[in-house]
Amino acid sequence: MLKRSFILFLFFCSSLDLYSQGVRDILPDSVSLVEELKNHAYIPNLSYRIQVLGEELPESQQVIDSTFLWTRNERGYLSPDFENGAQLESLVSEIPENSVELQFYVFGEKSSIDGVYRFLETLVDTGDFVYAQNQKSTDRDLVLIANRYHYQPIEAYKNLLLSDNQLFGVTLINVFFVLAAVSMIIFMLIFKKRRNQREEQIKDFENEIIGPLTSLLFEKSVDQINEMSKAEADAIFQDGIIQRKLFKIVLIDKIIGLNKKMKGDFKDKLKLLYQKFGLIEITRQNLEHRKWEKIARGLVQVNEMDLKMLLPLVKEHVNSSNFHVRSLAGATLLNIAEKVDLNFLRDQNYPLSDWQQMHYLRIIKYIAPSKSLQISKLFGSTNQSVREFGFKLVRMLGRVDLIQELHEINEKVSLEERVELIKTYDSLGAHMEVDFINSCMKSNHPELKKEAIKCAGNLGNEESEDIIILLITENPEFKIRKILLNSLLKLNPARFEQFVSDFPMEENLKIKAHLFDPVLSHV
Amino acid sequence: MYNFLFYFLIEVFGIFFMILSFSVIIVYLLIMILSALEMRDFLKKNKFADYQDIITSPIAPGVSILAPAFNEASNIVQNAKSLMSLHYGRFEVIIINDGSKDETLQKLIDAFELKKTDYAFEPEIETQAIRGIYKSPNKSYRRLIVVDKENGGKADALNAGINISQMELLACIDVDCILSSDSITRMVRPFMEETNKKVIAVGGAIGIANNCDVKDGTVTKYRAPESSLGRFQVVEYCRAFLMGRMAWSRINGLMLISGAFGFFKRDLVMAVGGYFPKTVGEDMELVVRMRRYMEEKKIPYKVSFIPDPLCWTEVPEDEDILSRQRNRWMRGTIETLQLHRKIGFNTRFGILGTISYPFWSIFEKFAPILELVGLLYTLVLVLIGDFSALYFMALLLMVFLLSMLVSSFSVLYEQIAFNNYKDKKDLKRLIWLILLEPFIIHPKVVLWGLRGHIDFIIGKGGWGKMIRTGFKTAEDRKNINSQSNTV
Repeated sequence: MLKRSFILFLFFCSSLDLYSQGVRDILPDSVSLVEELKNHAYIPNLSYRIQVLGEELPESQQVIDSTFLWTRNERGYLSPDFENGAQLESLVSEIPENSVELQFYVFGEKSSIDGVYRFLETLVDTGDFVYAQNQKSTDRDLVLIANRYHYQPIEAYKNLLLSDNQLFGVTLINVFFVLAAVSMIIFMLIFKKRRNQREEQIKDFENEIIGPLTSLLFEKSVDQINEMSKAEADAIFQDGIIQRKLFKIVLIDKIIGLNKKMKGDFKDKLKLLYQKFGLIEITRQNLEHRKWEKIARGLVQVNEMDLKMLLPLVKEHVNSSNFHVRSLAGATLLNIAEKVDLNFLRDQNYPLSDWQQMHYLRIIKYIAPSKSLQISKLFGSTNQSVREFGFKLVRMLGRVDLIQELHEINEKVSLEERVELIKTYDSLGAHMEVDFINSCMKSNHPELKKEAIKCAGNLGNEESEDIIILLITENPEFKIRKILLNSLLKLNPARFEQFVSDFPMEENLKIKAHLFDPVLSHV
Repeated sequence: MYNFLFYFLIEVFGIFFMILSFSVIIVYLLIMILSALEMRDFLKKNKFADYQDIITSPIAPGVSILAPAFNEASNIVQNAKSLMSLHYGRFEVIIINDGSKDETLQKLIDAFELKKTDYAFEPEIETQAIRGIYKSPNKSYRRLIVVDKENGGKADALNAGINISQMELLACIDVDCILSSDSITRMVRPFMEETNKKVIAVGGAIGIANNCDVKDGTVTKYRAPESSLGRFQVVEYCRAFLMGRMAWSRINGLMLISGAFGFFKRDLVMAVGGYFPKTVGEDMELVVRMRRYMEEKKIPYKVSFIPDPLCWTEVPEDEDILSRQRNRWMRGTIETLQLHRKIGFNTRFGILGTISYPFWSIFEKFAPILELVGLLYTLVLVLIGDFSALYFMALLLMVFLLSMLVSSFSVLYEQIAFNNYKDKKDLKRLIWLILLEPFIIHPKVVLWGLRGHIDFIIGKGGWGKMIRTGFKTAEDRKNINSQSNTV
């Protein structure tokens, strides 16, 4: 590594040296400079003149003069301006050295030899001057070839697209867009074609399934189906078709669909057939899948087909981080487990959403008459939303027998939970809880206060009336005043009338008018 | 010196427009990806959702449907009946007659045997004067409440309805919208699924009913509208609802819920002071204010979106009406962004401040201005002879292809997710429109947007000084008397 770095460094140094050589290093004197210039037919902005000293032009030049147009001046004869260095040789060769003077013109201005050096150095730096020696050996040196052609008008020949970065970028994007659009169209066509093919195949499979399945359902009893072997069951369909995955999926959907519509024996037959066809294996695979939608599909299948043998797998998902999976797993457990002890619900780590509560409530309502539900277990959950759900269940299932258990936790639960307790007492007509209701009316929690006042209208006593009167005199906001007066009216109409006549404020009169308006009896 | 400055500016503008072009491309590609992911998840989740329980469940939230009506006499009775027949257990329909000059109120009174009541309430949100509250003694119409009030605009009418409403959720709709019978059950689902984050609002996709068959309050047969303006709006609505809002929903960055069909938590709407009636973009402004409130209180929240076709409306096919609508939308956007400029580019407001607000500012509010400046820039390049026709054509092609790609993608979405436009002829017409839109309709949309800017600057609409000052906090709205005319 070190060795390689060193070699690279040496190479770098040598290249520095090469590029740092100036014109004076290569052409150290005026003779070598002129010799070099003679090799250049054209150097931009550099021209020459020759001054011949003396009264007469040398003979050799007199012939040339007819075409070369020497002009006479004070010092002798001055040649016209010319750019071709090769002419220097022919013009000067016949003239004695001491009677000739070479003049340099840079940008049309007369320049000294130093000026020419500086000018050439600039040209070398910009790559516009290449030493004649190098030019001769450029056939195999690409860099120098490139240098030589640098001044050519290559704009006309080079690829405009590649030379302009912006244009190149835009073109790339355009190509991308075209490719994306083409891919999208291809995708759309493939997608539509596949979807159509799949739909057609599903239709074909449905037709294949419906005939044999219906005849099996109507012709065979539950016992007969139970005695069938898998091979016998498979044999009702065309050879080998049941091995196809899509066929199995369609068969599952068909059986589940029929199970939802049919009743009695047919349900049992369908559940038996589900197992006989070996579809339970697909459900098991679904439950063990990594993708949540597959698991959810498996849970729906377990739920619909009462696949109790898969309950251990279902239990694994009741605390899944995926909302849909844990909701469906919970619903499945509630629906098909022999013993519904609600332990899984009590131990839920995640908050119970209204959506889950709604589904669980429906199932619990359905199974409540046939299964023993230990709802009180939910009161001891560490999850507040589960405890609240427990209170709602007491209310919605009309479990008056659990009021005593609720009473014991009245003071232990949070204010939000007390709102549910109050609603439950109100719904169940729990007059014995009036003290708790009265205490909640004085709460600073707006929702609890509101619910307690409402509840007091149905379950309150004289103390409740006094509290209501007290609260009204504290000048509450209009919404609360309305609830207070409504509760007072329900508890003691005479006292209500007395209060409104004692305090005939506009607000009280408006509320009274509202409460006595028959059209607004439910508002 | 001036020469140098001029060419320097030309160079700066060139770089600026190049960065902008690339940003547009990246942003729209991201939107396409995000919306695809969101749509995929939504369709998966929908497979396992059972909506039957919601209708009768005591746990499902109550919904107050608020429908402001102004001079709607011709259809109001049919619309009210349609709303009352929605499949849901606990809901009320509140129609707010916003000072109609026609027979809107009388038709309602006659059709539903309404009686003026002594309904006692104290408006928590200030509105124009309430003339009367009507209910019917006929139990068949027990869900209906009609509020008659002085004219004050849509936002004011909605505020009056909010004051009267009794339920946990508010469904703010346009009275002439066609709602699918299961629209409420679908829209309340996100509210019911909430666990860790409070769902504060849910937006719904709006379908275009022009030229479609409608039966029993539902669009039964989709057809593309006859006019190109109508078809343009079909494509635009696909872009906005199926792509844009799905993508924003994915990153919880939704800033706009259509005023024609949106559901909100009532307690939160009350907490922020209801709609702000002095802006023409009241729907967007409310969502931004609610979000801002949640950010300020540091309460985790979510704004959801349901792409199912549940609500349809007739869109304007007349250029004049459409131009006024777009002008109003632009002013609404500018006003909302001005009112809440404190949240812009502010990390304290999370995605709202760092992504949604900048996006709306650059790609919605300033879009027409930037397009105009781009055009002027090209003109200057032509005049100074620094114009490359090849480069210009390549850029033009790029913009055209981007527009085509985005529009095609949104129509493809519609086809994959819902497949409503089944007729191949309709699809061809939509694709043809996609090809022509950048040339025949987009320039007009830019022009209407520019007019919106001009109208905002000259003070047409809006609440002058207030909008210039902006809200210091989300709750500021409650301290402002909505009926005063601060200039």
